[in-house]
Amino acid sequence: MIVKKSKLDFYPYFLLAPSLIFILVIVAWPLIETFRLSLTDARLGGESYVGFENYQELLEKKKFHRVITRTFFWMFLSVGLKILLGLAGATLLNAAVPGRALFRVLVMPPWVIPIAIGCIGWLWLYNSHFGLLSGIAQRIGLIDGPFGFLAYKTPAFYSAIVTDVWVGTPMVTIFFLAAMQGVSRDLYEAAWVDGAGRWHRFRRITIPQIMPVIVTMSLLSMIWTFNSFEIIWILTEGGPRGATTTLIVDTYKTAIGNWKFGEGAARAVIIVALLGIFSFFYYSLIKKLNKFEERE
Amino acid sequence: MEEYMKSIKLALIGLLLVAGSSFSIRAADLHFIMCGGEVREADQTVVDAFVANNPGVNVNIEAVPWGTCQDKSLTLAAAGDPPSIAYMGSRTLRQLANNDLIVPAKISSDLMEAYQTGILNTVTVKGTHWGYPRAFSTKALFINCDLAEQAGVACEAPTNWDELYDMAKAINDNTDAAGIGLVGKDFDNTMHQFLVWLYSNGGQVIDLQTGANMLDSQSTRETLALYEKLVGVAQEGPTAFERSQVKDLYNDGQVGMYVEGPWGRGVHNEGMNEIAVPIPAGPSGVSGTLLITDSIAVFKGSGHEDMAHKLATTLTSGESQYALDTPDGGWGLTPIFDYEKLGISDPYYKGDDYWAVFINGIGAGGPEPLVEDFKSMQSVFVNMIQGILLGDDTVDNLVSIAGEEFDELL
Repeated sequence: MIVKKSKLDFYPYFLLAPSLIFILVIVAWPLIETFRLSLTDARLGGESYVGFENYQELLEKKKFHRVITRTFFWMFLSVGLKILLGLAGATLLNAAVPGRALFRVLVMPPWVIPIAIGCIGWLWLYNSHFGLLSGIAQRIGLIDGPFGFLAYKTPAFYSAIVTDVWVGTPMVTIFFLAAMQGVSRDLYEAAWVDGAGRWHRFRRITIPQIMPVIVTMSLLSMIWTFNSFEIIWILTEGGPRGATTTLIVDTYKTAIGNWKFGEGAARAVIIVALLGIFSFFYYSLIKKLNKFEERE
Repeated sequence: MEEYMKSIKLALIGLLLVAGSSFSIRAADLHFIMCGGEVREADQTVVDAFVANNPGVNVNIEAVPWGTCQDKSLTLAAAGDPPSIAYMGSRTLRQLANNDLIVPAKISSDLMEAYQTGILNTVTVKGTHWGYPRAFSTKALFINCDLAEQAGVACEAPTNWDELYDMAKAINDNTDAAGIGLVGKDFDNTMHQFLVWLYSNGGQVIDLQTGANMLDSQSTRETLALYEKLVGVAQEGPTAFERSQVKDLYNDGQVGMYVEGPWGRGVHNEGMNEIAVPIPAGPSGVSGTLLITDSIAVFKGSGHEDMAHKLATTLTSGESQYALDTPDGGWGLTPIFDYEKLGISDPYYKGDDYWAVFINGIGAGGPEPLVEDFKSMQSVFVNMIQGILLGDDTVDNLVSIAGEEFDELL
């Protein structure tokens, strides 16, 4: 039987078409349009082509350099804490302790509660005059009057980090826990027979075995934290004096707050480029880890 | 076949007529964006009467919460789908006008004469009125008399900044409350409250005649220096507070005084022992206030601007406007008109000392500056104010920087 090959060749494309169209409309077109907009001085009343002027201005601005530095500091500190706390939490939840199921449920609320609701709760906690944290600190004698956690530059920055870690840690914990549960018991038993202590078993067995999940979660968490907007916006709107303004907040303020769509688009393109670099590292590492696993 | 074609043609003509008639009905579908999250009964009554008097006209009122209201109208206009009319802060008018998104207001000469002094300045750019003034407010200093007396000072109006500081310090030192509530959050009322003090010190932001930048001045330095001094007797961390949050502190007895609009009496605890007094005068000026208005703007490109003007005029004049200004069922605002000139013989503010405080300052008041990029203007002010509240820099440097940054916006 002779099959007419040319007719069959279109079939895969026909099947792919809906997804391709969807990606073109939802992803590709907005990206292209954002890039085009970044080459204009688009404002409320119209736009004209300005070439790479927006990028040039951004790169010359010291304020923008500070925003970039702050964004990376925010991201590395927050992700570092999430990973450490996630590992500690998952280890505890994986231990054979009574009421383990209950603890596993209790770790979920920060992740389950809508971020906006959680942040409004934190906003109250941080309030100088009506807030729980300031009240407790006064009662136990740590401070002698109310303290506004969001009123000063450094405390506001670290307070926003605490909230971001609170929101992001449960998911990391759950993923690490799932990975830990997949580690073969035989490995632990063999190590135990050989006299390995708890710390050695954790360092030599658990960590290497769940390393692909640690890498994946670190990189994904970096992307999410880099783009974390609502937490900062609800708590401080980027203030005071820009102390909590990260790149995504700066982009929003410029494009939506000030209706400078062209300048905002240039910032958005920079975000895409930086996240593209993270994604590249992510895929490279995943590839390497997969190869490593295949060899093992 | 011919018969068949004939009936198809008739059916098509019939369809065209039906479509045409429905089009003519929809031709005057006015879209009115109202801020506040709910449609006030008084507005609905005016709109219903307007619809009844203008057959074929339909008005769709969309009530949007304060926080997103202005942005919604601007976004719709930028996207080419403008509302017919919208309630906007008057500070946005210059940006809207410069970007060709709104059309000039058509205010009758009778109404122009009836407006309080300075009101029209808040909607005027280069001689053209760009909005119908809708809501007007001035500010006063509210003092909690219980706290003042507890601190051992008489509950009387401080007339200058030294007396103000002394009173705030007495409350701060002798009670559990802070002397004064200051606002310093990234918020528009941080700028507004600073302007209240600046205008009470003979300061200016823009010269109304020449349009020149007047921010970098001795008056501004003195005003910022007042903030520097007051921060020591204010509530903890003013940069985390905007006006409504300071109001909560005031109601809770945690600050002795703060600056608020005429609605203050209505939002404070019932039976509170308090006085509302004029803003104390600075060393270089006389007691003044900030004249701030919101307006109804008529957007360009809705296709029925004339009808939109008519609706805006109806809403912002006569009884409809009075119903909004009065505290009985309205918002309790500083009267936008001298209502006696409009034939209302016994307006709500007449012979009332409380309202006199808000009305008497109008003459020495200054407008909210009209610049195209008003959000950037707000950032310039907030940055300067937060700079002094956080002790980041000196008064001199902060005012100089603000002056330079403001130059770029003019």
